[in-house]
Amino acid sequence: MTLLRVEGLVVAYRDPAGGERRAVDGVSFTLARGGALGIVGESGCGKSTLARALLAHGRPGSRFTAGQVLLDGTDILAATPAERTRLRGRRVALVPQNPLQALTPHLTIGAQLQEVLARHRGLRGTALRTAMLDLLAAMQIADPATLAARYPHEASGGQRQRVVIAAAVAGEPDLLVLDEPTTALDKSTEAQVLALVQAQQARTGCALVYVSHDLRTIAATCQEILVMHGGRVVERGTADEVLTSPREPYTRNLVGALPQLAPRPARQAPPLPLLEAQGLGFAYTRPRALPFLPRRPGPAALDAIGFTLAPGRTLGVVGESGSGKSTLGGLVCGLLAGHAGALRFDNAALGGAARHRPLALRRRVQMIFQDPAASLNPRHRVLDLVARAFTAYHALPAATARTRAEALLAGIGIGAELLRRMPGELSGGQQQRVAIARAFAAEPELVVCDEITSALDVTIQAQVLDVMRNMQRDRGVAYLFISHDLAVVSEMADDILVLHHGRIRALGPAAEVLGAPADAYTRALVAAFSSRRAAAPTPVPIPA
Amino acid sequence: MPNAATAPLASATAHRPSRLLRALRRPTTGIATLAVVLHLLMAATAPLWVPHDTSAMLDSPLAPPGAEFWFGTDLLGRDYFSRIVSGGQVALLVAALGVAGALAIGTLIGLACGYLRGAADEAVGRLVDALMAIPEFLLISILVLAFGKSLPALAAVVALVYVAGVVRVVRARTIALAAQDFVRAAELRGEPRLATLLRELLPNLLPLLAVEAPVRISAAVLRISALSFLGLGISPPTPDWGLMVQEAMTVILTDPWLLLFPAAMLSSFVVAVNFAVDGFAAAYGLRGEAGA
Repeated sequence: MTLLRVEGLVVAYRDPAGGERRAVDGVSFTLARGGALGIVGESGCGKSTLARALLAHGRPGSRFTAGQVLLDGTDILAATPAERTRLRGRRVALVPQNPLQALTPHLTIGAQLQEVLARHRGLRGTALRTAMLDLLAAMQIADPATLAARYPHEASGGQRQRVVIAAAVAGEPDLLVLDEPTTALDKSTEAQVLALVQAQQARTGCALVYVSHDLRTIAATCQEILVMHGGRVVERGTADEVLTSPREPYTRNLVGALPQLAPRPARQAPPLPLLEAQGLGFAYTRPRALPFLPRRPGPAALDAIGFTLAPGRTLGVVGESGSGKSTLGGLVCGLLAGHAGALRFDNAALGGAARHRPLALRRRVQMIFQDPAASLNPRHRVLDLVARAFTAYHALPAATARTRAEALLAGIGIGAELLRRMPGELSGGQQQRVAIARAFAAEPELVVCDEITSALDVTIQAQVLDVMRNMQRDRGVAYLFISHDLAVVSEMADDILVLHHGRIRALGPAAEVLGAPADAYTRALVAAFSSRRAAAPTPVPIPA
Repeated sequence: MPNAATAPLASATAHRPSRLLRALRRPTTGIATLAVVLHLLMAATAPLWVPHDTSAMLDSPLAPPGAEFWFGTDLLGRDYFSRIVSGGQVALLVAALGVAGALAIGTLIGLACGYLRGAADEAVGRLVDALMAIPEFLLISILVLAFGKSLPALAAVVALVYVAGVVRVVRARTIALAAQDFVRAAELRGEPRLATLLRELLPNLLPLLAVEAPVRISAAVLRISALSFLGLGISPPTPDWGLMVQEAMTVILTDPWLLLFPAAMLSSFVVAVNFAVDGFAAAYGLRGEAGA
C-alpha cells in the first residue's frame, strides 16, 4: 500500500541574479508503507531540499513551484500552515543532519524530549517522565536518567544522534526522513545508529526515507535507491542493482569513488626514522574545581605510545572519536604541549607549543585540518592564504611569494580564475586543495593530516587523496594520516596504527593489520567495515 | 546548515553590486536608505543653503508657517525651518565621534580579551558587567555633570558609555572565531599574537562592526537629544532637535507644530537607520551579527 507519492516535484530557489534555480527538478517516486528508500547524491544535488519537501518545509528563499507530495493521498504542499504543523512529528518526522544544532543548548536532553512527548502524546507529570526514560531506553541508552539530566553539549556525538532520533520517533510517525544522520559519526558508532534506526522501523512499522552522500550506509539500510544529480533523479533501482550494475555514468562514478579496503602495496622502508615516539603519553588538564585551585591532570588521552615513521612514508592512525588520534597529531605539530615520554623528529627532541619551536622546525612539520571551511580564514583571498605561508616560512618578498603560490596552486588544479576568490566561494574539494597547497608551501618533510577527507563527498575525497599521493611521490614527504575511515587509511598508509582509548591496539604494515588482525578490537573495526562492504559488493570498473 | 560561527562571511563580499541593488530594490530598505542619505546630506550641507541665520531673531515670536518663514518662527522669532534643517548636525557629529571611539577601543579590548583570555579577560569582563549594570542614562548624566557639556566631552561620554557593549559583543564573537582552525593554522605558522589578532581575527569582525556602527550611532543620537532635552547636552543657542522639543513643550497647547517638526526629524532618522541596516544585513547575510 502506498504511503508516500511524490509527483513532478519542483523546488526553486530565488537566484541573486533575479531568476530562479531549481534545486529539485521534476522528481517523482512512491514509497510503500513500512518501506525504506535511500536518496543518494553529492552535496548540492538537491537531496536535502527534497527531504524537507516531504515535511512540506522549504528553506528560506525556496518555493514549491510544481508537483505534489501526497501522503496517504493528500497533497501536503496544499495544506494550510496549521495543518502542516499538525502533520510534522506525528505523520512525518525529520532526523536532521547536525544533532548539536538541532537540540536547544540551554535545555537538558530530558526536558527537550518531554516537550516533544507532551506535545504529541499529551502526557503530563510522572507519566511524561516515565515515557521519556522509556524512549531513551528504547534508543539503547544504557543509563537514561543520567543522560536525561545532561545538556546536549555534555553528550557524545552518538548519544546526541540517538536523542534526535528519539525526538523524531516520539510522535510515532508513519514516515521518518533521515537527512545524513550519521555523517558526523565514526564508523562503529554509525553502525550502532543504523542498527537502531532499523530496530525502530521494525518496532513502529514506519517508512524510511534515508538521505546521504554515502552509498555504503544507504545500501546497508534501504531496499531501493534513488540517485540524484543536479536536482533530478538520474537512476533508481534496488540497492544491489545500483551498486553492482549502475547504468548511468554518474552512478558508476559514485560507486567507483568508494574507497576499497585494499592496502597499498608494501614499499621498502628507508632505514632511519623521521618521526619516532617511545612511551609517549599525554593527559588534558581537568577544569579547576574551584577558582585558584591548581589544575589537575585528567585521564590519559595517550598512554605509552611507541612507533616510528620513516621519511617519505605514510603512517595511518585509525581510531574512533576519543581514541587519542587527534591528540597525537596535535603533539607532533605543536598544537598541544607537555607530553610524557620521548617524541623525536629527525633525531632531535620534538615538543612544546609551535610558537616556542624554531622556525625551521615549524616549517618542516605541517598540518592539514579536517574542515577547510574552518581552517582557511574566510576573509582572506586564496592567493594570499598560500602566499602567506611562503612569506612566513621562506621570508620571500611579497611578489615572489605570490608567483610561487600561483605555481603551486596551479599544480594541484586551482587555476588563475580562483585566486582572487574568498574560500567561501570555492567548493569543499577546492577549499581542501588550497589548504593542502598552504601546507606544502612550507616545503615540509612531515605533514599531519587530521581527518582531511571526512568533510568531503566520496568523489571529491578520491580527488583529494590523489593530490596527496602525487605530492608524496613528487616531494618524498612523510604523512601522519589520521582518520576514522579504515578504507581511506588503507588506501594511503604503508603502516597502520590502531588506537583505542589512548592505547595502541595494533601497529604494523597495512596488509598485516587489516588482513589478519591479532587484536580483537581491530578485528571488530575491520568487521564493522567489511559487513558494510558485503552490502555493497565490489563496484564495477569505470569504462574509459 | 552552517552555524553562525562558520557561516562563510566571505560570501557576503561576492557579487557586491547585485546584493546592493537587491537590498535597495526592497521598498522599506530603499526608502529608509534614501531617508538616511538625505539626513546625512542635510546635516553636512545645511550651513550652505539654509534661507536664514539660525540664531538671528528676525520676526515676532511664534509666527505661523508662511512664504517667508516656511515653518514659522520659534519662541524667540528665529526662522524655524533653518533651525530644523540644522538641528541634527551637532548631535550626529557627537554621536559619530563617540561611537567611532567606542568601536575602536572596544574592538581592540574585546579582541584581546576574547583571544588571549586569562585573568585580564576576567577582570575586563567584570568591569564591563559593572558598567552595564548602571542604567545607561544615569551613567551619561553623571559623566556629563562631571566632564561638562563641551562637544569633545560629550563625545568622550558617548564613547565611554558604549564601549562596554562593544567589548562584550566583540569578545563573544572573537571567542567563537578563535576556536576555528584557521587560528590554529596561524599559531602553527608561529605568527605573533598581535598579527593573529589583526590579520586573522579582525577582518572577520568587520561585518559585525558594519552592523554595530550605524545602529549604535542612531541610538546615540537619540540619547544626546534626550540629554539636550534635560539641559545636560548641547547648549543653546545651537540648533538641536532635543533642545527644540524642550522649548516647544512650553507652548505645546497653542503651537503644536513647534513640537512636531523636531520630533518627526529625530524619529525619521532613527527609524530610517534601523530599517536600512536591517535590509542590508539581510541582503549581505549578516542577520544576527549584532543586536541590530
